[in-house]
Amino acid sequence: MNAPRPGHGYDEVMTPSGQPLLTARGVSKHFGGVVALDDVSLDVFGGEVHALMGENGAGKSTLGKVLAGALPPTAARLTIDGKPVSIRNPLDAQRLGVTIIFQELDLFAHLSIAENIAIGNLRYQERFAVSYRAMAQFARPALSRVGLSELSPHTPVHSLSVAQQQLVAIARALSMNARVIVFDESTSALTDEAVERLFAVIDQLRRDGVACLYVTHKMDEVFRICDRITVLRDGRYVGTRPAKQTDMAELVRMMIGHDVRSDAHAAACATDRPLLSINNLRTAGLRDVSLQVAAGEVVGLAGLVGAGRGEVGRALFGLDPILGGQMTLKGQPYRPHTPRQAMKRGVALLPRDRKAEGLMMQMSVRENASIAVLDSLNNLGWIRRRREAQQTDHVGRQTRLKAAAPQAVVSSLSGGNQQKVLIGRWLLREADLYFLDDPTRGVDIGAKEDIYAIIEDLARRGKAVLMVSSELPELLRCCDRVVVLNEGRVAADFDARRTTQEQVLTHATSAAAGHARPQAG
Amino acid sequence: MKQWLTNFLTHRRDLVQSLIVLAILFTFAVIFSPRTRGEYTYNLFGLSCTVEHWPIFLKIENLTDLLRANSPVAIIALGMTFVILTGGIDLSVGSTIALSAVVCATLLVEQQTSMATAMIASMVAGGLVGLVNGGLIALLRIQPFIITLATMIGIRGLARLVVNNEQIGLVGGQSDSAIHFAHIMSQKSVVIGAFLLLAIAFGLLLWGTVLGRYVRAMGDNARAAQYAGLPTRRVLAAVYTLTGLLAGVAGVFTCARTNNGNPNEGIAAELSVIAVVVIGGTSLAGGRGSVTGTVIGALVIAILTNILGLNNVDANVQSMIMALVIILAVVAQTISLGAVTRWWRQWRGSTTN
Ligand SMILES: Nc1ncnc2c1ncn2[C@@H]1O[C@H](COP(=O)(O)OP(=O)(O)OP(=O)(O)O)[C@@H](O)[C@H]1O
Ligand SMILES: [Mg+2]
Repeated sequence: MNAPRPGHGYDEVMTPSGQPLLTARGVSKHFGGVVALDDVSLDVFGGEVHALMGENGAGKSTLGKVLAGALPPTAARLTIDGKPVSIRNPLDAQRLGVTIIFQELDLFAHLSIAENIAIGNLRYQERFAVSYRAMAQFARPALSRVGLSELSPHTPVHSLSVAQQQLVAIARALSMNARVIVFDESTSALTDEAVERLFAVIDQLRRDGVACLYVTHKMDEVFRICDRITVLRDGRYVGTRPAKQTDMAELVRMMIGHDVRSDAHAAACATDRPLLSINNLRTAGLRDVSLQVAAGEVVGLAGLVGAGRGEVGRALFGLDPILGGQMTLKGQPYRPHTPRQAMKRGVALLPRDRKAEGLMMQMSVRENASIAVLDSLNNLGWIRRRREAQQTDHVGRQTRLKAAAPQAVVSSLSGGNQQKVLIGRWLLREADLYFLDDPTRGVDIGAKEDIYAIIEDLARRGKAVLMVSSELPELLRCCDRVVVLNEGRVAADFDARRTTQEQVLTHATSAAAGHARPQAG
Repeated sequence: MKQWLTNFLTHRRDLVQSLIVLAILFTFAVIFSPRTRGEYTYNLFGLSCTVEHWPIFLKIENLTDLLRANSPVAIIALGMTFVILTGGIDLSVGSTIALSAVVCATLLVEQQTSMATAMIASMVAGGLVGLVNGGLIALLRIQPFIITLATMIGIRGLARLVVNNEQIGLVGGQSDSAIHFAHIMSQKSVVIGAFLLLAIAFGLLLWGTVLGRYVRAMGDNARAAQYAGLPTRRVLAAVYTLTGLLAGVAGVFTCARTNNGNPNEGIAAELSVIAVVVIGGTSLAGGRGSVTGTVIGALVIAILTNILGLNNVDANVQSMIMALVIILAVVAQTISLGAVTRWWRQWRGSTTN
């Protein structure tokens, strides 16, 4: 299946010649009245990494799903190796060697890693009786390729972090020995080390002649690993460029039609009024954390996975029991037991895993946005619908949400727009302290700037913001201070304007050197 | 108007599909109904008209009869819709009917209380059962299935204990209020009227209130509901209490209709209630469903039992047909209209070519 194709060494692939591995012509997809894809065409060659870019809702995921048989297209002409094919379902796609790693993960939460990799996998020989040993054996090579070999294949998936789940999904796709793999924002939840490993895997795939369709919003990734870039806008094909013959400015113009203004740094609005102080905090995931946040200050939390960044938020929001230490909020002792108590004290948390912890997928955009402020829209038990509509429409505009209607169910939104709904929910909720766990995950380059502006605005209004990001430059860009966590302890506390990525990374990894730590994403 | 219709057709597809099932069933009922021998005179709102060989099914008396007979189950189904929307289930409603019925009969006949006192006490008893269910589920975080299975058994015991395993007849005693009660509370207008009012109230509760929104949110994604700071325990307590209360109301009506406080009343009623809710398109996984759907589901069950009864179908065969209809109704909801129209276009295309 994976025979290297002669003449496609990746160094020469500037404008590939020869026959494309996969061609798509006239792909259209309508959801009721919504046109997600309108006559899109695409060629992907073996041994090429082909980036697919565009704003949130441009149709990237829809195109990937159509190619992988997960969505029936309204119209499409597909060929593989020049032969016309019809891909009606994921099994068809698998037989033809096409697979996708979904943006919104679709793993079976209560099954083990090995089961998730083996189930529905044509390369796994089902036996009459389920053999967990055989499944584990089948899963192992793929797991070690993505750096999850330390984990037992019998671990249930729901106990993994989002990043680890993402790696399991990648391992599943790799284990299918596909010839075309669609990566739909696979790195949006990964740490730098896991991203590096993924890039190494992709390099290997390229040498094996596999075609990778790589959906991302991250410019640096595109220029590092991609050979050609196709841009979509509003469901239409805009153009394809070789990566070596284009630059960020051109891509941004193709994607949004105008340039993006980008400030070097957020304005400093930090006051000297302490709003939150944490002293020697200990929880299940934190050993000893002390930090202060002033009103109007934006503090970034940096560190590796497992360093305890998210756990600070969980403790602040009453999700993890506090085992030791004190917290003080606005001068008062603070020890929440439930999110509800935390919210009453003026704390808001934007969760990292928007599907599992954030959104009600079958409810509408408007209902999702207003769910945390219904107590203020409550009129003798009735929802003030007019006011609800006004407020949610306002944050929708603020975050430049793109949805068919406020009544559309959230599951019909593109990934980035789902994230904006979640951000809107917490913007509506007036709080003093915001804990934002990767707020721009999956958000396009233009909307990212909007979110930075929103964070800046919160700071200007005297709010305190604690922020986690999978991208270090983003932390340095948005924050006044960056606190580096390392294995549940504070390793360093930097002024964000006078520090470099290298400094932060050194402190994030240094103390851990010598320890055997799981490398999981 | 046209806008509204397209909106309804696209966004409430589940309802459209339940309605189609209902319409088909209704047509079948009319076709297969035995006919009146002679003439039948309609008396509707002062207008009267006389028709011959009219289907018995369509006689006003029959239609109101079938509504009254199914009202207790339908009333509980309104509350059960909320419970199932949160992702839960309540198995104890059948036992609660019995408890409420025996409380009502005991008070009327043995304590000679007034009608109002007896009715309120019965409903409170039902509400308390619900509160115990909801409280235990919210505080202990044990699966609703297990908690309500336990209370189903326990409450049945309590009901039998209250009346020492005996039935308490309403008529034949010296209690005037009991006879009065049996007369008033079994009237069609009272029973059907109560159901309609409750259906509207619960429909509004789900559609327009904060509670209704919370109920759907919790069933959709319980973890996200917690992260959004919803008062999940209070919502659970409220939902089970409401269902218990409705089971109490159903018990009162059952007591009046049967003239009897029977501790063995309502055995397996919870299953009919769940069937009604499910036929109405509410997902047992939680988060998706509606009160309108449940009303349609109740009508489906009511019409089906009625038409089978009119044709003197054997009771055991009735159960088997009922099983078939439940499955068909739920399957009908999973078929997407889009697939049907696509199929239709293709078929038409292939016949014209
Ligand atoms: N099931 C659905 N029902 C209705 N509309 C849908 C559905 N799925 C996607 N859409 C719409 O199709 C459009 C394209 O969505 P898609 O998910 O492909 O965007 P995307 O380019 O992947 O965006 P992102 O960067 O945010 O992931 C969006 O406008 C979205 O609202
Ligand atoms: Mg997408």
